[in-house]
This record gives sequence, structure tokens and C-alpha cells, in this order.
Amino acid sequence: MSETHIQIDNVNAYYSGHPALKNISVKIPKKQITAIIGPSGCGKSTLLKCMNRLIDLTDGITYSGKILIDNEDIFDRKTDIINIRKKMGLLAQKPTPLPMSIYENIAYGPRIHGIKKKADLDTIVEKYLTLVGLWEEVKDRLNSPASQLSVGQQQRLCLARGLAVEPEIILCDEPTSALDPISSQHIEQQLLKLKNEYTIVIVTHNIHQAMRLADYVIHLYLGEMVEHGPADEVFENPKDERTRAYINGTFLADVKIDKVIDTKGNQCPYNFVYAKQALHSLEKGQTLKMIVDDPTAVTEVPRGMEADGHVVLSVKQKNITDWEIVIKKKG
Amino acid sequence: MELRRVEESVFRVLMILSLLIVVGSLLAVIGTILWKGLPVLSIDMITKTAEGGYFLGKGGGILNAIVGSLYLAAGGTVLAFFLSIGIAFYLQKEYSGGTKLSNLTRLSLDILWGTPSIVYGAFGFTVMMYFHMRASLLGGIIILAFLELPIMTRAMEEVLKTVPRELKEVSYSLGATRLETTLRVVSKQALPGLMTGVLIAFGRGIGDAASILFTAGYTDRIPTSLFDATASLPLAIFFQLGTPSPQVQQKAYASAVILLVIVLAISITTRFLSRKYTKYIIK
Ligand SMILES: Nc1ncnc2c1ncn2[C@@H]1O[C@H](COP(=O)(O)OP(=O)(O)OP(=O)(O)O)[C@@H](O)[C@H]1O
Ligand SMILES: [Mg+2]
Repeated sequence: MSETHIQIDNVNAYYSGHPALKNISVKIPKKQITAIIGPSGCGKSTLLKCMNRLIDLTDGITYSGKILIDNEDIFDRKTDIINIRKKMGLLAQKPTPLPMSIYENIAYGPRIHGIKKKADLDTIVEKYLTLVGLWEEVKDRLNSPASQLSVGQQQRLCLARGLAVEPEIILCDEPTSALDPISSQHIEQQLLKLKNEYTIVIVTHNIHQAMRLADYVIHLYLGEMVEHGPADEVFENPKDERTRAYINGTFLADVKIDKVIDTKGNQCPYNFVYAKQALHSLEKGQTLKMIVDDPTAVTEVPRGMEADGHVVLSVKQKNITDWEIVIKKKG
Repeated sequence: MELRRVEESVFRVLMILSLLIVVGSLLAVIGTILWKGLPVLSIDMITKTAEGGYFLGKGGGILNAIVGSLYLAAGGTVLAFFLSIGIAFYLQKEYSGGTKLSNLTRLSLDILWGTPSIVYGAFGFTVMMYFHMRASLLGGIIILAFLELPIMTRAMEEVLKTVPRELKEVSYSLGATRLETTLRVVSKQALPGLMTGVLIAFGRGIGDAASILFTAGYTDRIPTSLFDATASLPLAIFFQLGTPSPQVQQKAYASAVILLVIVLAISITTRFLSRKYTKYIIK
């Protein structure tokens, strides 16, 4: 693994006493894209906001542990947080231009860090707008309000604004979830380009996005880190069951179900037998969805199917009694 | 089912009724003033100061009161603005952290807001007596500033609260300090609302009679220094209405028209000026 840029060491965070992050320790590699994945409410945003201490703005937050960036503990009260934040660009979920012109949005950061000369600012504005592919689109209306740009353009503007303070790290919290597919693709391409120069941490709900972008993956589940590692390892061979379920679960939306059987009211091994019969009638690679209500079947059917060489795509509880198992026929 | 429909229509009628009362009374007030005031409004009234015996029906106008009121309200508003903006910023979470002191400040402001203006006047008068000061423009300005302070501060505070947290986060994430964020982002986003706060306070200041009765006094001349006593429109209206002469009483309505026009003019100009900045606001 390459050099570590951000070292997260035993971080715990609590909102008014409720734990949101539990003992997170992970090393985020330099000049790579690290994706933080996990279901809603698992603490992804919290972890991201810890990294630039924006979390400080939240009421009732307490945290402990260490986050080392360039050997400086940013959780240490003595650390100059302004300097830390300057090292990190933030791309939020909703594009948030500042209430200023397009030009001023980019110039804002450099200005507060002491660049005053108009010529220098002009250069910076052009450089970063060009970098995110926005210059041609806006060069004739730099003085018009940033809020007039389309949402996709606004998000690129926000990226450029973050880059203009010359950070080393880019933090993104679901940066494409408010965007249309084309704009999302645009942002993804930017990020892939930028990883040569920057360390990028991206929170995403979209497992496909994580697969397209990530070199390293962190999977959070209810505030715990259940798995982390190089992206290809995690995606191809997840060690943790919850990671597997999460990856499969999110895949499932795209899976075409070829046959559905309902084995409610049946005990093991009958539901297993019915499922085998149903699979028999399917072509290789087709999928079967079965509904079961026998608790034993929930674990035994998948086990048996895997023993037969079929692939269990997901096991999900639908309601108090019913479970849904999706199986792909070997082929 | 039937009962619910009846409830619904009763409620509707009540709402329409209250709306009619509000609009109706506004129109009635403005109508009465215009109807009684316009016929006697003359160029002389707004270009000449009062001559001796003006209130007994002699000639002259109320330029002294117009200018006096503008001085008083403008001075009071400017003074209140500098105090309010500081307090309003302080009351934001980032600064006060929602401490006891900030809650106490809010409570005091609300009590001050509810305090009748004659009480301010009486208080100002007592203080001035203690220091052997005569009624003066400065005294009036200070009292008006205190009168306007709670309204302005609370209005501004509410406006600042509506600034989206995300905007502040952006600014902080770029490495800005609290002060930079407040001055360069928050106040820009909140500008129209802040201006409205100032306007409401100005409106209260220019229309108040009781607080300046003893503190600013009344005179026929336009004040030339902060220590001169000064006339004001609300008091001019009050005194004119109080005379036995019907002609002078009518002029009270004309003065009210002038007061109304001033408030409207200032409100419209401010809105017009602020439009230049509001176009950048993030919705
Ligand atoms: N300001 C807050 N006050 C109290 N609890 C909070 C606050 N913000 C988040 N939480 C709680 O902390 C937990 C983690 O929240 P977080 O926003 O980090 O989740 P997330 O993984 O980013 O979720 P999502 O994918 O929905 O954005 C959640 O249970 C959430 O309810
Ligand atoms: Mg989140």
C-alpha cells in the first residue's frame, strides 16, 4: 500500500452522548481515492466532518481519538484549525455557491489567505475554472451571480473553489447525489483526474460509483468500521458478511429476477427442495427469488445453495416473518 | 362529515373576515389622512419653518419638524444599527454558544421591546435632569436609539438565523475565520433581511412622540448643533391636533401625510438600493 496521508486512530464521536462513530482506526492512502460506503445513518458524514473538524459546528458533539495529517493531530486543541482546513477542499452533497459572483466564489478562498492583487486572482480564477472544465462556459459572465448557474455547473464551481486554496486533500460528501447523470459523470471524471495530485476521500451511497472511483474502501455499519482495504479486494472478496450483504443488496436493484417462488408455511428441508426444483427449471445464470418464513431456512438455504455452487446474491428481511433470498443459478 | 364541512366553512369565513379587517383598517387610516390632509397641504408647509404663533393659526410651515424628525430618526437608527449588528452577531451560536448570557440578552431585549415609549422618555428625562442637560437633538437621538434597539436586534437576529448552515460550512472549510465568515458571507446573504430590520426600526423611531417629548423638546428653528432642542413631526401633529383652531388641526393631517410619504420614500429607496446586492443571494 502506498504512503498514508490521513491516519485515523481510535476515533469515537458522540452526538449528545449517542455514539455515531466507534473506535475507527484506518489509514487513508496518499494520492488515491478512498470511498466511505455504508447504509444511511452509519456515520459516513460524521467521519468526513471529523477530518476537517467542521464537526465542531454541531451542537452537542463530543469526540476522542486522533486524526493525524502530516503528523499533526487535528483533534489536538492546540492545532491551528484554519491551516488544517486550508489543506482540505470540501465538496458537499448539495452544490453550495457563496452569495457572490462566479469570480468572487473562486477568489474568496485565495483572498482570505492573503492574495490581494487583481492580476493574481484573475490567474487563479481562470486556472481553476479551466481545470474543472467550466471556463469556456462562464468566461463571459464571471460577474453574474453564481446561483444562476445550473446545478451541475454549480457543483463544478464548488470543486474549483475548493481547489483554489491549493489543498492537498479533497473531501466529498455524496458529491453527485443531487446531480443529473451527465453532471455526475463530469464530476467523477474530474475526481479521477485529480487523484494524481490530491488525496481524495469520497462518501457515497452509490456502490457503482465507489467501484468506478475507489482505490481504497472503508465500509461503515452503525458507526463501526466493519471492513476496509484496497477496493478490488473488498469488492471482489468481501471478508465481512455485512459488507457482502451491502454490496449485493445495492446491486440487487439492477438484477433481473427470472422466477419467484413462495415457500411460506414450509419447513426445512422442503423449501430447499422446492428451490432446487425451481432452479432446475431456469437457464444458467438466471435468478430466482424465494420468500421464506422458516427461520432455519434463512441460514440453511443459502448455505446449501452455495454448497451446490449457486451464488446467493442477497438475503433480506422483508417484514417480521418473511425473508427474501435471491439466488443466481451456477453457470 | 357534515360537522367537519361546517367547521371548515366557519373557519374560512373567520379568516376572510380578519383579512378584511386588516386591509380595511389600513385603507381607512390612509384614506382619512389623505382626505383630511391633502386639501391643506401646501408648498409653504414643507419649505418654511414655523413662524411665531404658528399653533395659533399664524403662517409658516413645519420644515423645522420635518428636518428635526429626519435628524432624530436617522441619528437614532445609525446609532442603534452599530449596537444592534454587534449584539445580533454575538447572539449567533458561533459566538455566544447559546450561553446564559445570550438568553439573558434576548430576554432583556424582549422586555425593552414591550416597554411603552413614554417610559423611555421619562427615563431619559430623569437622566438628563440629573446631569442638568436641556432637551436636545443628541438626547432625542440617544433615546430613539434605545427605542429602536430591541426591534432592530431581534429582527436582525432572526434573519441571521436563516442563513443556511451549509454556507457557513463552505466558508469555514476554505479556512475562513468566524469573523471573515460573518462579514463576507453571512452578512451578504442576510443583507436584505438586515435592511428590513433597519427599516422597521427607523419606522418606529420616526413615528414616536412620547420618548422625545422631554428629551428632544420642541422649537420653531431647525437645530444647528447636537445640543439644540429640535422639533419633530409626531410632536408637530400632536400639538396641532391639540389646538382649538380647526385650520391648525387640519394641518395636523397634512403633517401626517408628510410623515407617511417620508417613511414610504425611505422604504422604497432602500429596497431599490438593496436590489443591487440581493441578486447574489443563494435561495
Ligand atoms: N446533528 C446531529 N445531532 C444528532 N445526531 C446526529 C446529528 N447528525 C447525525 N446524527 C446521527 O449520527 C448518526 C450518523 O450520522 P451521519 O450523518 O454521519 O450518517 P451518514 O452515514 O452520513 O448518513 P447518510 O448516508 O444518510 O448521509 C446517525 O444516526 C444520525 O442520526
Ligand atoms: Mg451523510
